[in-house]
Amino acid sequence: MSAILSVAALGELVAGWIGQGKLVAAPVQVGDRLLYQTLATAGQAVFDAKRRPSNSIKEFFFPRHEPIFRYRLEGKEIALSDVVPEEREQIVIAAKPCDAAALPILDHVFNWDYEDGFYTGRRARTTVVTLACAAHDEACFCTSVGGGPEDEAGSDAMLVDVGDGKFEVRAITEKGAALFGATPGPPAEADGGTLKRAPRRFDPARVARYLGANFESPLWKELTLTCVGCGACAYTCPTCHCFDIVDEGNAAGGVRVKNWDSCQFPFFTLHASGHNPRSAQPQRQRQRLFHKFSIYPQKFNAVLCTGCGNCERNCPVGLGVLKVLEAIDGEQRRLDANEPVQA
Amino acid sequence: MTERLRQTARRLLEEGKVQVVIGYGAAGHPALITKAEDAQKLEWNDHCLANLSVYLTRKEVKALGKAAIVAKGCDERALVVLEKESQIDRAALYVIGMACDGLGAPKCASCQVHLPRFADEVIGEVAPPAAAPTGPNGFDRLMAKSAAERWAFWKDEFERCVKCYACRQVCPLCYCERCIADKNRPVVIDTSATPKGNFAWHITRAFHLAARCVGCGECTRACPAGIPLALLNQALAQATEAHFGYRPGMDPQAEPVFGAWSPADREDFIG
Repeated sequence: MSAILSVAALGELVAGWIGQGKLVAAPVQVGDRLLYQTLATAGQAVFDAKRRPSNSIKEFFFPRHEPIFRYRLEGKEIALSDVVPEEREQIVIAAKPCDAAALPILDHVFNWDYEDGFYTGRRARTTVVTLACAAHDEACFCTSVGGGPEDEAGSDAMLVDVGDGKFEVRAITEKGAALFGATPGPPAEADGGTLKRAPRRFDPARVARYLGANFESPLWKELTLTCVGCGACAYTCPTCHCFDIVDEGNAAGGVRVKNWDSCQFPFFTLHASGHNPRSAQPQRQRQRLFHKFSIYPQKFNAVLCTGCGNCERNCPVGLGVLKVLEAIDGEQRRLDANEPVQA
Repeated sequence: MTERLRQTARRLLEEGKVQVVIGYGAAGHPALITKAEDAQKLEWNDHCLANLSVYLTRKEVKALGKAAIVAKGCDERALVVLEKESQIDRAALYVIGMACDGLGAPKCASCQVHLPRFADEVIGEVAPPAAAPTGPNGFDRLMAKSAAERWAFWKDEFERCVKCYACRQVCPLCYCERCIADKNRPVVIDTSATPKGNFAWHITRAFHLAARCVGCGECTRACPAGIPLALLNQALAQATEAHFGYRPGMDPQAEPVFGAWSPADREDFIG
């Protein structure tokens, strides 16, 4: 089924959800940036099929900071108490397909040897409404990792800009249909073909083959030595999910929290002995690429990347994964063709 | 300018005067050139925003050998401070200065050094600086607010901080081997991206940069959450100039405020 809604009608729906006490997140204009935020008012939501927010929607499932439990020290006793879980229904609207696609990928790791109830709880009570992409830029590469401008992975419903401030609503799951008072329709034909697709930039299988045989390669240093070692790529990435667990408080008690962390920081791997197995930045860059394109695919049969391009757009030195992936894809092509490798 | 820059880089590498040229490559992104034949990869255009002096204190880059660096007037101020703080040996560094009349706002809006002054070689010329912009800018507007309004402003801005530390990593003067934010035995600054953790981080960083920050604006440019961090440092730079007549990186002869002491130092501001 599909229906057509004007941007004004969408705004009314959003206002209605907020009025019902639901948490609604959407792209919001903040200065010169578009950022996903939980809305204070419906009018903040930006429905723009041509722009990508600088951050990702993972924040609404795996927040940057999350208390796990509280503790109090009473004499020799330690009293633990659970944090009161957030139970409000959550709606993420006008998300990019490359953000939503990260959710089924992340489900693997958060339900693997241990079910992370904080994550799965949020997944269960959140409905994701994507907005199909009407444009891509130089940093976009969703089509190289199996996505596309109308990819439905992770979406409960999808909006498609049909012009004149109107959007076609495609219900994908029961959850998405319920939100718009509709019934879910048959899956749309793969990528409908109406929206312009970003060109394919590399082959993830070929990249994985290169990684399998080239843990030690001068290429890593050559390609990534300019990395300054911040976490802008990881923290704006829809799929990066590393966290640290720390206690914050004083002698009387405190809270144990789960905070985002990044393999790009030297302290991520610093041992108590002082030894650091990843002592230089190119090794940390290599790790991030291996995790996304070799380790995660081997473990969960899914590439840990949706091709959103945020890593490149947010990198203060313009690095990101795409350039490195294109270079090693080219390197593997040369190896496959049995041509002499350029010095 | 680009061609002359490439010639200089090629010559320095060929003659063995340096082993690496720290410059800008494709799309104006930082590039580390170690072979003379790669000098042609160097670029000079409006995207060459990054302050490359950040690489001079990185051990991976130091390991490459003697360096030449491409520096704009603003970047050069960082070199002056790094030398004052004994982080670089200026005599062992070749500075290729680039004349620059501004590459983009907001980074270049308040620039006062369009021409490098202490470079080994300056490439290009700049037109005489245009008249100072009239009317209040973002900094003036912020400083015109009350303390309560400024507090509210920063509370809103810091709310978006995710603690990615891009501000620190791109800062040429944040070269500490172990940042106070990474001290965990005990924790000095909460690692949590909460109002407490974020205020503690940004205020501490601003204090550590007081009388040192050269105003290159890289922190603002790098922030993925769009927080105008340079405004914090600008306020401290203004105070430093008002109280000590010192502008970091402007005069290599001037003693740094925190690095020099004299019995004649003013004490009247100590409560």
